[in-house]
Amino acid sequence: MISKKIAIEVLNIALKTGCDFADIYLEDNVSSSINMDNGKVEDANDEITYGAGIRLLKNLQSVYGYTNDISKKGLLNLASTLAKSFEGKQEVFVETMTKQKVGTKHQPKIDYTTYPKKDIISMLKEASDVMMGVDPRIVRARISFSYNKKYVTIFNSEGKEYHDIRSRGRAYLLAVAAKEGSIETGGSGPGASKGMEFFLDEVNLNEKAKDAARIALTMLDAKECPSGRMPVIIGNGFGGVIFHEACGHSLEASSVSKGLSVFSGKKGTKIASDIVSAVDDGTIDGAWGSGNIDDEGNKTQRNLLIKNGILNSYLVDNFNGRRMNEKGNGATRRESYKYEPTSRMSNTFILPGKSTPEEIIANTEFGLYARSLGGGSVNPATGEFNFAVNEGYIVEHGKISYPVKGATLIGSGKDTLLKIDMVGNDLKREQGMCGASSGSIPADVGQPTIRVSEMIVGGRGGQVK
Amino acid sequence: MNYNNFFAEAKNQGVEALELYIVKNKKFSFSLFNHDLNSYSVADSFVITARGVINGKMGYASTEKVDKDTPKFIIQKIKENAEFITSDDESIIFKGSEKYFKKNLFSKSLADTSENDKIALVKELSNELALKDNRIYNIEAEYEEETNEILLINSYGLKLSSKGNYCYIYLAGFANDEKGETKSGYDLKILTDLTSLNKEEFIEKTANKIISQLGSEPCLTGVYKAVFNPSCTANLLRFFLDNTYAQQVQKNTSLLKDKLNKQVASSKVSISENPLTRNVFFRYFDDEGVATKNKKIVDKGVLKTFIYNLSTAKKDNVETTGNGYKGNGKIHTSLVNVVLKPGKKSEKELFEKVGNGIYITSLQGLHAGMNSQSGNFSLQSQGFMIRDGKLAEPVSLITVAGNLFNLFMNIVEVGSNIELQPSSYSVPSIIVKKINVSGK
Repeated sequence: MISKKIAIEVLNIALKTGCDFADIYLEDNVSSSINMDNGKVEDANDEITYGAGIRLLKNLQSVYGYTNDISKKGLLNLASTLAKSFEGKQEVFVETMTKQKVGTKHQPKIDYTTYPKKDIISMLKEASDVMMGVDPRIVRARISFSYNKKYVTIFNSEGKEYHDIRSRGRAYLLAVAAKEGSIETGGSGPGASKGMEFFLDEVNLNEKAKDAARIALTMLDAKECPSGRMPVIIGNGFGGVIFHEACGHSLEASSVSKGLSVFSGKKGTKIASDIVSAVDDGTIDGAWGSGNIDDEGNKTQRNLLIKNGILNSYLVDNFNGRRMNEKGNGATRRESYKYEPTSRMSNTFILPGKSTPEEIIANTEFGLYARSLGGGSVNPATGEFNFAVNEGYIVEHGKISYPVKGATLIGSGKDTLLKIDMVGNDLKREQGMCGASSGSIPADVGQPTIRVSEMIVGGRGGQVK
Repeated sequence: MNYNNFFAEAKNQGVEALELYIVKNKKFSFSLFNHDLNSYSVADSFVITARGVINGKMGYASTEKVDKDTPKFIIQKIKENAEFITSDDESIIFKGSEKYFKKNLFSKSLADTSENDKIALVKELSNELALKDNRIYNIEAEYEEETNEILLINSYGLKLSSKGNYCYIYLAGFANDEKGETKSGYDLKILTDLTSLNKEEFIEKTANKIISQLGSEPCLTGVYKAVFNPSCTANLLRFFLDNTYAQQVQKNTSLLKDKLNKQVASSKVSISENPLTRNVFFRYFDDEGVATKNKKIVDKGVLKTFIYNLSTAKKDNVETTGNGYKGNGKIHTSLVNVVLKPGKKSEKELFEKVGNGIYITSLQGLHAGMNSQSGNFSLQSQGFMIRDGKLAEPVSLITVAGNLFNLFMNIVEVGSNIELQPSSYSVPSIIVKKINVSGK
């Protein structure tokens, strides 16, 4: 998008007043989306996002700016505006720029941009018809489909140049079931850093449509969940959002480095029960949160976060790593050039244990089986979290007894991790969008079925004795 | 920028009507951590969102890149995307309203204040917060200023523009209680003029939010009379009003569907939308170019109107209410400057009226724990007990659960303490007859 020569010139302007590091991040991205409601295409859209972000670091201070004007003039202007934040003499000089190897994983076999949109629409229509056909109480089927192709270029003051191509696609299916005075929903959102082959060969949207409808219908007939403290079995796949929210965010250097996280200074200490090990792995072939390099140019890694209950590693970006005396470990991400990059998760999950999910249920005298969770949020200072249960069942005498709706799980991350007393062998990852200071980014959450010996369950179905 | 090329290209390619919606945005922000400048950022960007009608169908495309090929690319994409549309919704590019109530709300004083003065002000707030209580540490302070220019032009000759600017200041900190448990709190001010900031009040309020939850524990599970503070009330109201959107009603996913001119809330509740109010959120045209107007949505508990954009209005054979706002591509519905009409009692008097109950100051995880369609919610929450008409000990790690529609029916009092929220809603505290609380 810009020549080496211009990049060197812009970086030297940025460095003029004494910052110790500078980088330029350029992005040229086309995203396409299709929204279908009850089988009809409501809108189809293509969006070009295009721009550059320039970052200057000096010790523990960062300066960031972005613009759509990536002409030489536009970039020089931005760099010199940003450089005004510092007062000093240039100490770092950029003379040459060397292209770095970034790898070529996670590339589409069938590029979305070459696949006919009308064929994608036929696929969505079929899934929509399947969803509506499950039961007359399914009153609305919403399906959206989106994909993008992003060209990323990074130049930095260490004279390194990176080029990466990132391509992703995702469908989202939502079933709405209704009966007199009551409406419930069920959803599913498969996606990958792959091309159209993901939807042709790996995922069957009709099956996902049926599953979304099944959840909505189950919840329509469900009783209100009782409230109180009880054992909670959390289902595999999206159940891993608990770990993502309650632990993953608190392991990001952005909060750890400033002492803002409950896990600050806890490396090497026990933070989870012995049967818990967890990773953040940005290298998984074609996974939703994977990449060749992160947004500082570091190669993505498989970072073992927790090993048998002991905190082993944080998620570190180069800038926040400065406060921690650690180097970035491939975990620096951002939504777009409009965000300054920081430490974030990629594909984060609890590793499988030994129990089968059936054994976990059979070993539970009374409790809630949260088969599928919705979103949640966490206060990184206290680790207090909340999650909505999308599909829940009461377990009695080791058996699934009846479905319940309206349940919320609340607790604090550090207590919950220590209370995990069973870990299943059925690891599964599912896709989500993770929002934080550097924007909304694709991330996999995941886990096997696990059991937490006690959690606070909120619900409207009266208190458990 | 010259937009004629887009219109010429549209004509060439047989697009019947074209609209361009251009947003130019400038941002300036910085943050302090423990009073030291920690980050600083400037930004300048624009986006052109285009939509066009061909054979009665609407296609969409947008771009942040403009070069000589852009108009052709955008018009091609609009044409291509329009062909796929199978929805029966009417595709309308608007010719214009009879009258627009344009006001100039650009704050010159904010734009003219120097960066150094802005940094000095936030440093002062950060320092004062530390001095306020020696238990407060890890102080974060942020300043962000935005200037937005919107230009809407279409092939019918409609041309509307607006320019506004504002800033927000965010203050946050941590404190530990005797047991070593950490609590954090923050407050946020949205301003168009820095001289209007009441620094003392802002610091007092932030410090109180950080400190007051120290030592909190879950309360006993039970059914409580509750006061919701303005920010929680605004959140509940936002989900309630989602059900007034005609697109939800027309798709059978609103439980307010057959409730027009019927009681949907207690008679204490009157809700209006005042987009023409002179404040940060002022809008005199919506994203379809329709003139906005102030209106009653709920009057003494009775639902007076659904909320429309051009295409949903056409379906119901009514006039749009001027609430067409852009989502990702298609025009959706949204509300700005919603007001829950205040009552006469101060918040303190609400506590007295409740006697014994709970004061809710935080509702977490609304995006997941609130089903705005069924109205069922179960939300992590914190607050304080109300005992003998006064605030008592703090409570946390509780959930409040209920049904949104029942809750609005059960509002027994609306306070006088109206506050403008970052969501643009102006709301006071409310008393709700009963709410399920799950604690210990």
